[in-house]
Amino acid sequence: MKRYDLMMKGGFVAMVMAAVPGAGQAAEGRTYYGFQAEQFEYRLGDENEKRLVWDADAFWGTDELKLRWQGEGERDLDADINEGFENRLVLQTPISDFFDAKAGIRLDTPTGTDRWYGTVGIMGLAPQWIEVDADLFVSETGDGSARLDLEYEGLITNRVILTPSIELNAAFSEDREIEVGTGISSAEIGLRLSYDLIDRSVAPYIGVSYERKFGDTADFAKEDGEDFEATYIVTGLRLMF
Amino acid sequence: MKQRIVLRALLGALGTVMLSATSFAATYDLTVDYVEIDTGTMKTGGIGYNGSSPGPTLRFKEGEDVVINVTNNLDEATSTHWHGLILPYQMDGVPGISFPGIEPGETFTYRIPVSQSGTYWFHSHSGFQEPDGAYGSIIIEPQKREPFKFDREYVVVLKDKHPHSGERILRNLKMMPDYYNRNQRSLGDFIMDVRKNGLGATLSERADWGAMRMMPTDIEDVQGFVGLINGMSPEQNWTGLFHPEERVRLRFINASAMTYFDVRIPGLEMTVVQADGNNVQPVKVDEFRIAVAETYDVIVQPKDDKAYAIMAESMGRSGYGFGTLAPHEGMRAEMPELRKEAPLLTMADMGMNHGDMGHGDMGKGDMAGMDHGAAPSDNPAMGNAAMDHGSGGSMPGMDHSGMAGMDHSNMTAMDHSKMAGMDHSNMAGMDHSAMAMGNRADPFYAAGSGLTPKAANGGKFLSYADLKAQKPLYADRPATREIELRLTGNMERYSWSINGVKYEDAEPIRLKYGERVRFKFVNETMMSHPMHLHGMWSILDTGQGKWNPVKHTININPGTTVYSETEVDEPGQWAFHCHLSYHMATGMFRKVVVEGGPAVATLKNGN
Amino acid sequence: MPSFKKSLIRHIAASTVLLSTFAGMQAPAFAGAGHSGGHGGAATDIGAPGQLSDVRRTIRIVMEDNFFDQEKIIVRAGETVRFMIENKGEFVHEFNIGTAAMHADHQKEMFMMMEHGALEADKINMAMMEMDMGNGMTMKHDDPNSVLLEPGQSAEVIWTFPKDTELEFACNVPGHYESGMMGKIRLQ
Repeated sequence: MKRYDLMMKGGFVAMVMAAVPGAGQAAEGRTYYGFQAEQFEYRLGDENEKRLVWDADAFWGTDELKLRWQGEGERDLDADINEGFENRLVLQTPISDFFDAKAGIRLDTPTGTDRWYGTVGIMGLAPQWIEVDADLFVSETGDGSARLDLEYEGLITNRVILTPSIELNAAFSEDREIEVGTGISSAEIGLRLSYDLIDRSVAPYIGVSYERKFGDTADFAKEDGEDFEATYIVTGLRLMF
Repeated sequence: MKQRIVLRALLGALGTVMLSATSFAATYDLTVDYVEIDTGTMKTGGIGYNGSSPGPTLRFKEGEDVVINVTNNLDEATSTHWHGLILPYQMDGVPGISFPGIEPGETFTYRIPVSQSGTYWFHSHSGFQEPDGAYGSIIIEPQKREPFKFDREYVVVLKDKHPHSGERILRNLKMMPDYYNRNQRSLGDFIMDVRKNGLGATLSERADWGAMRMMPTDIEDVQGFVGLINGMSPEQNWTGLFHPEERVRLRFINASAMTYFDVRIPGLEMTVVQADGNNVQPVKVDEFRIAVAETYDVIVQPKDDKAYAIMAESMGRSGYGFGTLAPHEGMRAEMPELRKEAPLLTMADMGMNHGDMGHGDMGKGDMAGMDHGAAPSDNPAMGNAAMDHGSGGSMPGMDHSGMAGMDHSNMTAMDHSKMAGMDHSNMAGMDHSAMAMGNRADPFYAAGSGLTPKAANGGKFLSYADLKAQKPLYADRPATREIELRLTGNMERYSWSINGVKYEDAEPIRLKYGERVRFKFVNETMMSHPMHLHGMWSILDTGQGKWNPVKHTININPGTTVYSETEVDEPGQWAFHCHLSYHMATGMFRKVVVEGGPAVATLKNGN
Repeated sequence: MPSFKKSLIRHIAASTVLLSTFAGMQAPAFAGAGHSGGHGGAATDIGAPGQLSDVRRTIRIVMEDNFFDQEKIIVRAGETVRFMIENKGEFVHEFNIGTAAMHADHQKEMFMMMEHGALEADKINMAMMEMDMGNGMTMKHDDPNSVLLEPGQSAEVIWTFPKDTELEFACNVPGHYESGMMGKIRLQ
């Protein structure tokens, strides 16, 4: 079973990689690339938990077709384990003036159970300048889930930026192995104040972040002796190259 | 003995015949090099000609055949385009259209029969070499005496040199379109607006812009540059000397990548005598806005024994160029008060663009009725097309702060044209004492536009409507057909196009040799675009009929429609594009193919 | 202006018209945008229209685009000079004797003329010039110290110079003065 899975995943990735250069040639447009880390921070929790968290992405491609890597993770610095370690590889293409559609794969390899997912989603800019990233996932175990990321950049000055953000996760079916219950499984809200130190390349920030698990997901956490909610003070760097 | 005399006579005759047959051919050598650009406050690597940026000033003579050898000392291909020059298309210097380009180490020989006079410039047409510093000026001396007198002259070339390379700037703009905009509205502006207009009005105004996902501060895409005059920063203070009472000719060239400059010399009136190399009927102004790639020649006559400041503030007020006109060496003019407050676009600048910025497909045929630009006047006696009889003065800016949720979908009936239906047959009896001179709304800006320029000293600001050809280059005749070019783009994606289609996806524009084509530029974006047609003149329709000015670069402001006509009299193929470097690079570009006309000899490298 | 001078002007105007040679058909127009109150007023003595019989010297002036063929004229104080002016250019030009300040004022007037269509780059619309703009003001050029010529036209100005005033001869068509279409008159 595992070997079959690997072949499938490998084949999918290969397809993705092959498609991009071909598409690039057809369009004959310029290729662009970039890297950014929206979050790269140290978190100190209300019960002295210490975490290292990141949320970064990089892309390469033309206006019509891009290959994008998105990576998220959370490292428990006390226990020295990766609570979360996600990597996504998607192909992205415009579907409207302000939105792109994307599709690809996601691989979770935290300390614990690994999971593969297929993913489709959209990302873009909604009215009133709200940045949206919405995805649907289907795991190798056949479980479906969804995630919605919203962010807004408020200019206190032209260099000091206040960014509220919210992330919502929902699962359509239970996946006990990775401790996810049906319904809204978790949410995270954050408020970060950053300062553009070097152009838009390096912007240090401080902020707060509140995480919470809901419903069955919260119960699973409690059973394991873990907290189902936590508040953190965060400090980190926004990067863009 | 007799034979020798006859032979000598024959040789002499032959020599004379040969000399008169060849016209004077001057040869110039240019090298394209990597250079260091040091503006005092900023040191950056760049590209220049003959070891420096800006490159040299080339002087040609009208009527001569010029030979220019361009040697490429870079690691990448280069090209040299002679902006505004009429020449065989293979000499126009656009890779992929005129020729394949000049490879590293290669030398390309340009041969140009010079058939015009005036101020022009040259620059690379490869990659982002021009924003990186590859530009220089051209002065072509006329055969006949020019219709104005001057005692000395200076080239004044303006540039917006940025510490980042052009390649890097575009990559950043693609990641974040407002990467270089530090003039955005912040909390402080919000609070000030609330104090002025109330919370409700301010919230709804912000919501209007937010609904469109557009910013009224979106005037200068690339801020953070150092304004240069002849390659020198304000600190370095380029200085031109004069003797009081002399007439000085200043040849202004805007060689910027992205920036429009508002040029003034406090204390001196400027008489505009040339635009884009062609003589215009002289116009006295206090200030003028020079779009990217345009040139304006002005005559000033400093009378006092003091230093005058040449001020070039960028249109979005994020930077400026500064230089001095002085009677003695070592002087520095007093810096006039800078106008730091950046203009804000208004809903009027939105014009035809109502949220569906997309790839320009408005799909609303009823938009055709909207004409914000200067429609051609039927009454030649109108002269200056900018007469506003309504308020007797400049049109007060429209206050949109209270305009909640304006529905732009039904703008069919709105006609912003100032020219239509105006009856001037009854001009007698009009009391003009109240009509302040120089205070009329500029018809080349949308009515109520936030970009409408005002002279710093309250005086006269040059408008396209003031430009009249001193001597028309072509007989005035009706156009044989009209081609509409919608200027389109998507700021969020930083993707710019014409008719919603990028260059790489577009069919060339095909013109017939001998026709007179009328281009209708409809600006569906919120930015000003300087459109440049290579190889053939653009006769800008300012409503003056046969006196319409002849230009090579035409600026179209947001929400306006501008017309220009071209006599298609140069065979071959030509580039036609927005001269804002990063708009051109992302797709606001077309190839123009001229079908028919005399067979053009294959001119290879120098042969 | 006293009435006898008015009739004198009309006399001069009439004789000048008679004396003109022209390639064009229209009578030349005179500078002065209609105020019979006289520019320059009583303060500055710019001289006066002269009599043909007092003419000691004739100076030919050629108008081109946009300059005069001379940049300086030297005359004797009190001398009566006959100027024979020919427009060899393709545009309308003026020849006007006065002080720099008068020329500056006149430039404003000529700008208005152009705005109203009375004056175009290469022609004069006589009908519009004579139109009553209200308050009895017209744009008619009817002063003796200047002539306004279309391309190809010629005219004469006979002028008796004052003793001591800084005078210039100029073309006040918009932009021409700044382009250099003016010159100094030196009184010896």
